[in-house]
Amino acid sequence: MTGSHRRILVVEDDPETAGQLVESLTSSGYQVDLAACGNDALSRGVASDYAVITIDRMLPDIDGITVMRQLRAGGVAAPVLIISALGEVDDRVRGLRAGGDDYMVKPFSFVELLARVEALGRRSDTVVKETILRVGDLAVDLVSRTASRRAKEILLFPREFQLLEYLVRNEGRIVSRTMLLQHVWDLHFDPSTNIIDVYVGRVRRKVDGQQAYPLIHTVRGIGYCLRAPG
Amino acid sequence: MLLAKTLTSSTFKIALIAIGTFGVIVSAIFSYVYLSTASYVRGRSDRTIMTELAALQDTYRRSGRDGLIALVQQRIADTSFVGHVYLLTDPSRAILAGNLKSWPPADGTRGWTEFRPPEPLPGDANPPLLRTMLETLPDGDHLLVGRDIGDLDSFTDRIKTAVISGAALIFVLAGMVSILVTRRTVGRIESINATTRAIMQSGLDQRIPLRDSHDEWDSVAENLNLMLDRIETLMGEVKQVSDNVAHDLRTPLTRMRGRLEMAYHGARIAEDDQALIGDTIGDLDAVLRIFSSLTRIAQIETQARKSAFRTVNLVEIAGEVVELYDAAAEQDGTRLIVAGHGEVLVTGDRDLIFDAIANLVDNAIKHGRAGGQVVVSNENIDGRAVISIADDGPGIPADQYDHVFKRFYRLEHSRYSPGNGLGLSLVAAVARLHGAQIEMFDNSPGLRLKLWFSAAAVQ
Repeated sequence: MTGSHRRILVVEDDPETAGQLVESLTSSGYQVDLAACGNDALSRGVASDYAVITIDRMLPDIDGITVMRQLRAGGVAAPVLIISALGEVDDRVRGLRAGGDDYMVKPFSFVELLARVEALGRRSDTVVKETILRVGDLAVDLVSRTASRRAKEILLFPREFQLLEYLVRNEGRIVSRTMLLQHVWDLHFDPSTNIIDVYVGRVRRKVDGQQAYPLIHTVRGIGYCLRAPG
Repeated sequence: MLLAKTLTSSTFKIALIAIGTFGVIVSAIFSYVYLSTASYVRGRSDRTIMTELAALQDTYRRSGRDGLIALVQQRIADTSFVGHVYLLTDPSRAILAGNLKSWPPADGTRGWTEFRPPEPLPGDANPPLLRTMLETLPDGDHLLVGRDIGDLDSFTDRIKTAVISGAALIFVLAGMVSILVTRRTVGRIESINATTRAIMQSGLDQRIPLRDSHDEWDSVAENLNLMLDRIETLMGEVKQVSDNVAHDLRTPLTRMRGRLEMAYHGARIAEDDQALIGDTIGDLDAVLRIFSSLTRIAQIETQARKSAFRTVNLVEIAGEVVELYDAAAEQDGTRLIVAGHGEVLVTGDRDLIFDAIANLVDNAIKHGRAGGQVVVSNENIDGRAVISIADDGPGIPADQYDHVFKRFYRLEHSRYSPGNGLGLSLVAAVARLHGAQIEMFDNSPGLRLKLWFSAAAVQ
């Protein structure tokens, strides 16, 4: 990502939440602008080029989704992350993911926010053209749908392969349980059990078992990260 | 008080209108009866007089004045002609024959006249009321034929009295009956009102008294009582839920508070602080999850999500759930099997159905027998889509079947296993949204739970 593409517009009316968002994004190396209402967001959004825009669903003046629509109409292509309370999640919000934007339900963890912002920011500038993805000694063949470590094939069920593919595509980034549920299972709710952990555990045994070093790491309280050592 | 309410009640007003209308009709009928009776009686009497007059004129024509005088005298003597009056005078009004002492005061010569002579008829105390026909005979003599119509008048008067008193009696009776009926109605309404007021003042434990009359008032009271029962149950459940929420939240919140307080007063040790903050975030997440689950259940229960309904295949969803839980089952040593193939289609929200089935499978794995098996099967039965989840664990006592769907309800032996007691409430809410029935059986051993989607939800 280039310098200008680490610029983020945060639209949030609650000062404390806004402060926390700005702080956590800034500490991750983003340059953050803050808009406290929909009109402010519209003028700023059109004026500058942002990598990602996060918008609170409930703003004092204009509805978050409307702000997003108006930005799009004004030629702003930056991906949008709508932050909404559970009760405000309806079909319009759920439809965001299909359009390449995203939503998050309050309350959320900042690690989750960062993970989503990262994923959105990357969406626009990286298109994976390779058919084989490699991380350390792991190779994932997207065409034959097989994975191997040190040329030794790992036997995976289709869903397990999808999970590994998603982790590999997000190499080095934290992936939350909710993100896994959404992208691997297309589920837009949290089953609120440790089911994902158990599932990842099984994939991990297959991928990391009896290997020189582990690739799949647990990030306590958040999710997982796949990365090569060093 | 009750009488005042009776008199102002709408029932009474309607009764009054009915009585009024009825009264007008009855009066009209009675008046008609009276008038036609009176005119019939009078007409009959007039015809008798005319006939008599014709007979006398006939005699006059045939036998002359003397013949007529003889006939008149014969008539007066004849007891079967009592009440008849006759008078024959010459042109100068000198009396020739008859039982009247004088010509009528009106002094007419022809036609009907009614009058009261100054003296009574022989054998009577008072002068009678006479109706007479006057005629002038061809040679100038005057003839009067008439009857005492006092009897007729008293007859029609009696009819008049009977008619009026009959009508009055009907009015009085109708008035009394309507007051009694209205009083009864107002009484029942008052008892309902009194109960309603008592409920508003003191609480939902009051019920409207029944009179065991099995009438419409009893059925109204019964239905209202049933509604009150339902409201009381719901209120109880709401109270139960808020008690449980308070309890389930107080535990982690107390833990967090204690932990933070100890850390606040203790020395700063980076490592300990890190762990403490991590644990606290974990506890907070648990609290937030309870809120999310409650919101989600409430959202489903208010049917806010019918917009996401599509035709979905239960077999496919069950397959995905089983795939998701396969690893968890494996960890518990449970065999997780999906039976049935092809298409079992329902109209519904995929995410919600997934969530419901996931909760049921999760429960089956968690509460089933370690090393046992969980079978998920889908079928079309009588045009209805059915999914069943069966385990071979300890099962649920039959008397608990109804309770397990309540929010935060947990069976005694699972009180300390993970979970918040909201899973089956969510299943119940999803089922209700989809018009599906939940059925539970003893799987001997274990529990078999069936979700019957309604025919309408199946395509």
